[in-house]
Amino acid sequence: MNFPWNKKRKSAEVAKDRLRIAIMTDKQNDNYPFMEDLKKDIIDVVRKYIEVQDIDIKKECHGEFEALSIDVQVKEK
Amino acid sequence: MGMIIAVISGKGGVGKTTATANIGLGIAMHGRKCVVVDFDIGQRNLDMILGLENRVVYDLVQVMDGEASLKQALIKSKSNENLYFLAASQTKDKSVLVSSKIKKLVDELSLQFEYVILDAPAGIESGYEHTIEFADSAIVIVNPEVSSIRDSDRAIGILDSKSQKVKDGEEVDKYLIINRIIPEMVQSGDMLSSEDILEILNIKLLGKVAEDKGVIEASNQGTPIILDPKSVAGAAYKRIAARLCGDNIPIQEPTVNNKGLVGKLKGLFS
Ligand SMILES: Nc1ncnc2c1ncn2[C@@H]1O[C@H](COP(=O)(O)OP(=O)(O)OP(=O)(O)O)[C@@H](O)[C@H]1O
Ligand SMILES: [Mg+2]
Repeated sequence: MNFPWNKKRKSAEVAKDRLRIAIMTDKQNDNYPFMEDLKKDIIDVVRKYIEVQDIDIKKECHGEFEALSIDVQVKEK
Repeated sequence: MGMIIAVISGKGGVGKTTATANIGLGIAMHGRKCVVVDFDIGQRNLDMILGLENRVVYDLVQVMDGEASLKQALIKSKSNENLYFLAASQTKDKSVLVSSKIKKLVDELSLQFEYVILDAPAGIESGYEHTIEFADSAIVIVNPEVSSIRDSDRAIGILDSKSQKVKDGEEVDKYLIINRIIPEMVQSGDMLSSEDILEILNIKLLGKVAEDKGVIEASNQGTPIILDPKSVAGAAYKRIAARLCGDNIPIQEPTVNNKGLVGKLKGLFS
């Protein structure tokens, strides 16, 4: 019941708010906004030299450092 | 060609294997040919839930490596002739999985079966990635609690970037099962409601399964809960299987089980 003297929020409501924020933050930490464009550019560059099968770019966070890990899989012969 | 469905969750222990067994059997009871495949390499469990642990001779890694034929490794279910099972390897680890061999295996299975259901391992590591690689669709299992829901969102993210279908420019269909709902807690506002969860995850709802003690008893016996006509979870899995077979059945909300006199009276008049 939502009586004025019963100010404590229901725990499901709290969970929902916390989840929303956590998931949004997870997504931001996972990605740079330019990831897709970068991927296309790298494919174009590498393709000049060798055929590309697949490419995988990851944003990695190690404590205070951020790293970009790029994995290029070349076409099997 | 049959449909390849991966059963995923992110967080472990939320009910993937239980769901795989019951949905597979439900589809088979619907008269469709179905195979359930344990992709949890090193932690074989689906055999126990199906009560087939004594019949496993060959596993899927042996099939992929050409040490056994698919025919030799496929195990027929005791309870339904439309259901087959392929065991995970217990001796090797997840690193034995190779994309090209997985592709060959699932392609072969999808020629023989209308539904190919892959039970994914927990987590979002390589074993998981290999399970979703060639899936047409995914069933996401969550429990109504924060860690399960958050982890499932991560698993969905990987599905949407790493599966072959997505790389080919298509979309992987995603269906949500909310498992272990405790209606009393939802009612009192102490458990996330299905609406809350759907709003956060934003995928199609396939079904709601209540917390049911019978599930553990069923796993003790090796007879999936769907075979128990009195179980609420079993009935929920029946409806889920029917939906996957194309039946249009509305989603049912698990109801509060009123054991008191008032509840019984209410039951009489409703
Ligand atoms: N609806 C339910 N009601 C009660 N218990 C359940 C329900 N669904 C699953 N369980 C129980 O939860 C536990 C975990 O289930 P299960 O093994 O299917 O999860 P899993 O996601 O496959 O786990 P893992 O990630 O380790 O593979 C089991 O003990 C099972 O009996
Ligand atoms: Mg499991």
